[in-house]
Amino acid sequence: MWENRCKVAVSGVGYSKVTRSAEIPLAAHALTAVKEAVADSGLRLEDIDGLATYPELPATGHAEIDGISVVSVNCMMAMLKLPNLTWHIQVGTTNIGGAVQQAVNALLAGVCKYAVVWRAMHNPRGTYQNLPGAHATGAAQFTAPYGFGGPGQGMAVAYTRWLERHGQNREKMATLAVTQRKHTQHNPQAYFYGVPLTREDYLNSRWVAYPFCLFDCDIPVQGAVAMVLTTADRARDLKPRPAYLAGYGQRLHFEVAGRIGSLSDYMLGGSSSAKLTWERSGFSPKDVDVAQIYDGFSASVIYGLESYGFCKEGEALDFIQDGRIELGGELPLNTFGGSLGTGRIHGLWHIIEGALQASGRAGSRQVEDVNVAFVGASAPIVTGTTFIFVREPY
Amino acid sequence: MSDWSKVTRPIPVPNQWTQPFWDAARRSVLELQRCQSCGHFQHPPYATCVQCVSTDLKFEPVGGKGTIYAYTIMYHTGDKRFAPAVPYASIIVELDDAPGALLAGNLLGSPYTDAKVGRRVEVIFEKLNDDITLPQFRLAR
Ligand SMILES: [Zn+2]
Repeated sequence: MWENRCKVAVSGVGYSKVTRSAEIPLAAHALTAVKEAVADSGLRLEDIDGLATYPELPATGHAEIDGISVVSVNCMMAMLKLPNLTWHIQVGTTNIGGAVQQAVNALLAGVCKYAVVWRAMHNPRGTYQNLPGAHATGAAQFTAPYGFGGPGQGMAVAYTRWLERHGQNREKMATLAVTQRKHTQHNPQAYFYGVPLTREDYLNSRWVAYPFCLFDCDIPVQGAVAMVLTTADRARDLKPRPAYLAGYGQRLHFEVAGRIGSLSDYMLGGSSSAKLTWERSGFSPKDVDVAQIYDGFSASVIYGLESYGFCKEGEALDFIQDGRIELGGELPLNTFGGSLGTGRIHGLWHIIEGALQASGRAGSRQVEDVNVAFVGASAPIVTGTTFIFVREPY
Repeated sequence: MSDWSKVTRPIPVPNQWTQPFWDAARRSVLELQRCQSCGHFQHPPYATCVQCVSTDLKFEPVGGKGTIYAYTIMYHTGDKRFAPAVPYASIIVELDDAPGALLAGNLLGSPYTDAKVGRRVEVIFEKLNDDITLPQFRLAR
């Protein structure tokens, strides 16, 4: 087990308004989320001495403009002018989960005391994923001429392989979409709060890229979320009950850039990250009381459940049936609605929900008797990270 | 069947590492990068052999027969250039001679509903301009 387990905790969390399109600059969303997270902790901005984010804009073919389409650490520093800042970072080999992990490391190293991590996501005007213009360079020269654009198609091809190799039926995915939308009705911050979804809605919805229909894809939105991390002893003196970090992991597998469609790349990415998390925390999948698994495209949940070890390969669509992933089920899943419910904010909201469930702060969606909360914070391929938060330090 | 006649595809821009692939395709030959140490074929081209980390790599011809490893049917018309072909099959092919090397393509000459994992396909060539010919696939005959 990891000697640093339960030595760092999540304290306050914060959210901006989530809107379909950009009504105000993205920096204003990030600022709201950060300020709210700091206030939720009972801290003042002057107490914050660490900053971390992953500022990437996943929409392809759009300009990255700091403060408008991304919110970098520099942008946040310029806005907040923190008088006691001692540490900051942006990550690249992982998604936002890597920024959280670096903040954990900085806290353990004693180079900051109260770190804020935010994720701000922009929805550009026009088509979200654009193919290159007249010419395709780099890895895209082997994919774009055939109409392969964004990550959705990359995940869709792996999903057909999964479905047909395992003799599975995509209609079973309706259970995930409908259950998560039910959970969304307990999350007033979510884009689809107040908007129900039925099995018929899912089955009758238009195709995007088979096997994905509209409700397999998270809706692009504009918004930001944030969290405060601090050492466990400091967290105990703050307003909210802490959620202790028991262990984390990151994907250790990578294949050549431009290789798309490989199912094994998802599986090896997820299993390598989860193995670290199980070993460091000392827990196993059967110990988990509630799980948040990244669902930007629904099939990501399949790859997550299987590669993290919650069920065997080929079984995830059966595993999620019969109420298992409901709030009162055996493994409540994406209890905040997931990205399919909140809109496309990437994995920090999954991490926040893991922490809220572990600390008993999830309101009307709180699962009973949670001690162990698992998080898979992005698609297991390329940028995957995993976490376990606990209520009781050990 | 998808109507590709009105589709304007993005034109691949070869670089010094990928030029031999496109030179061969212009001659209607499929050539992939092959490790001269262990014999492994790989695609997309890479700096080192993904099997043995050798840097001794050359492009060599491979047979054009393989199976559909994975596919998607595109309905989304976000890119208007591809809208006339919607719905169309974008496929990933694993060649018999190059296990593990995954080539993207479209399934040409058949309805998109013919795309299925494991189905046999063979390479054909689609000329885009004087410099670039695109390897493509149809059901094996
Ligand atoms: Zn080799």
